[in-house]
Amino acid sequence: MKTRRTTIIIFLLPSILFLSLFVIYPMLYNFYISLFKWKVVRIESFIGLDNYVKLLNNPQFHRAFINNLIWILIHVPTTTVLGLLLAVLLKRVKGSYIIKSVIFLGMVIPQIVVGIMLLFMFDSDAGVINGLLRSLNGFLTSVGLTEFSFPIRSWTAYPDTALPALIIGSIWIWTGFAVVVYSAGLEGIPKDLYDAAAVDGASPIKTFWHITIPMLRPATIVVVTMTLIWVLKIFDIVYVATRGGPGGATNVMAYMMYEQGFVFYKWGIAAAIATIFTVIILAFSVYLVRSMVRR
Amino acid sequence: MKSTTAGLLAVVLLVIGIIGGYFAGVSTAPAAETVTVTQTVEGAGMATTVTKTVTKTVQAPGEVQELTVYALWSGVEEENFKMALGAFSMKTGIKINYVSQPELRDVVTTQLAAGTSEADVIIAPWPTWIKDELGAAGLLEDVTDIVNKVGKDKFPSAYLDVVSENGKFYAVPFKAWAKPGFWYNKQVFDELGLKPPTTWDEFMNVLDTLKAAGITPIASGDGVGWPLSDLVEAFIIGLGGPELQLKLINHEVAWTDPQVREIFGRIQQLLKGGYFDEAREWTIQIDRLMERKVGIYFMGNWINLMLQERGYRPGIDYDVFAFPGTGGIVAGGDWAFIPKFAKNKEAARMLLEFLAGAEAQTIMVKLKGFLATNKDVPKEAYDAADRNIVDMLGTLAVLPDLDDSTPSEFQRLFWDKLKELWANPDALDSVLAELEQKASEVIG
Repeated sequence: MKTRRTTIIIFLLPSILFLSLFVIYPMLYNFYISLFKWKVVRIESFIGLDNYVKLLNNPQFHRAFINNLIWILIHVPTTTVLGLLLAVLLKRVKGSYIIKSVIFLGMVIPQIVVGIMLLFMFDSDAGVINGLLRSLNGFLTSVGLTEFSFPIRSWTAYPDTALPALIIGSIWIWTGFAVVVYSAGLEGIPKDLYDAAAVDGASPIKTFWHITIPMLRPATIVVVTMTLIWVLKIFDIVYVATRGGPGGATNVMAYMMYEQGFVFYKWGIAAAIATIFTVIILAFSVYLVRSMVRR
Repeated sequence: MKSTTAGLLAVVLLVIGIIGGYFAGVSTAPAAETVTVTQTVEGAGMATTVTKTVTKTVQAPGEVQELTVYALWSGVEEENFKMALGAFSMKTGIKINYVSQPELRDVVTTQLAAGTSEADVIIAPWPTWIKDELGAAGLLEDVTDIVNKVGKDKFPSAYLDVVSENGKFYAVPFKAWAKPGFWYNKQVFDELGLKPPTTWDEFMNVLDTLKAAGITPIASGDGVGWPLSDLVEAFIIGLGGPELQLKLINHEVAWTDPQVREIFGRIQQLLKGGYFDEAREWTIQIDRLMERKVGIYFMGNWINLMLQERGYRPGIDYDVFAFPGTGGIVAGGDWAFIPKFAKNKEAARMLLEFLAGAEAQTIMVKLKGFLATNKDVPKEAYDAADRNIVDMLGTLAVLPDLDDSTPSEFQRLFWDKLKELWANPDALDSVLAELEQKASEVIG
């Protein structure tokens, strides 16, 4: 028994060491940093939880938090539903792997590049989105519906459209992930279930609803968990495309953390955001992983 | 067991050998042999040729020193700066690794916070950051001896005062720049019978004529945020006087003050009237100016270099006029400094002395778009457009840049709020209220 325990400890030791060194220690040290007031690169004084109090009373932080929330509420369901529908639709299409590869391309493009591409896509002169809208406006004019024309402008430059533009962009690059995960999930559903449903006279919609969706639950948990964490820590697109503006319209927690630390040198505040961030992400992750394990 | 011990010993010796070799490699000093060579440098895509006779220090094989230099410049500005660096390398045998660092401020601060520095020499346009943030925190080398060696009397005192504290210098002045006014397409003005305006009414007439001709009157530069700030500062100085700019920097007047509100009100009216172009990346606006899509563009003297690089001729294809009736001109500079954790401080000091001197600055001036801080640079070295700006600096009140002179937190908000104002002119009062709140918080 003793030998068995020793063996377990020896096998666990490398993981525990690495986790302690690269995850637990940085998390604790980050919390330690958040308890101080900083002057450029030096600690000025110990201020306890003051940075947290300041943050919770800071309208900028509220806005960043709400923007993250809006991002999650739009991005997560859209990506999940789109991914599922595309995976199901493409299942029976010959050569669908080519289409899936194209959809997945967004995932392999560096997000910094995606941010720049978004700027161009939504540009009023050169952007593909405004190009499409111009064509649509032309059609509306030709059928006498000019009053329904869409405005042509650089979407990322206006507070009311900047956040939706970035969210659309993030959905575009992340949908590929959901498609791939759901496609793999679909392959794992036994064909017998569909055969039995067909014998019982179930309609395709009923089959989809009562067989496909429940059987894809593990895939859904993976898609939702990964998407949620990715959206929570979204930074690159915002940094490149809008820097949180205009007027804070696209500010998110990760960008605010960067700005407070690396631009304003308020390392204490930045660390406090990171701690809050960690707690939120951990809470989500624990909940979702537990639901997966429970199953 | 014996063979394991021998193996371990061999590994330890190998590691010691590698570490020893590394330190032996980085601590070499240049040899003293010198020769005289003639070097010719040509400006990027321009007809300028600078021929210099320099004394070159030849190093023994395997003793090459290398300096890493950080600055913001890229494109043609980078190419030109490399010409000056090349002259230094020719003279000293020290190799230079230039890194164009667009996020210079963030990168350098982070590295210094971690107790390290990739760069041996850094060049930046923010004296407040250099002196009050990095210098005060003890993160920079004292370069007083270099300033004394080159001669304090060689520089305008304003360029020295901003980087010194109690007689100690944290940086040396290298480049001067100015934001003289609105650049315009001369052919468009000639075709429309327009002349550079000298009063507000004439200015409005120019804008109305351009608008009637289907040209968006004023270009709005975007990017990180400073181009809109420069444009707004021109209105503040032109309509409120040079002292208003200084008062706003020091927050001696509120951003919600009626005088400030009135100036921003005029900008708001112009925005609502469609006189400003949508905020676009600032270098794109240079092309739009010459493509007749926008009429006038407020920008610094460096645009002279960029226009000539595109093949346009100063005084023939384009020119510049000051904000009508303005009493001031925003000018600033770029300062070179050595971080405390630089690896090659002696060579870095040599480079700083070279950059502060007339030789390097004359090379840069001849390549255009560069104003010298060293008074020994001859006036003949400037082209017509740059000389015009040097003359303006002599007749107008020279003022610091507003956003560059305020803490980072205010600067970022200022940039962001201006973008918001451009997108939504009706937000003016909330924009000014937020600026006032932030100024009270971080400036006092």
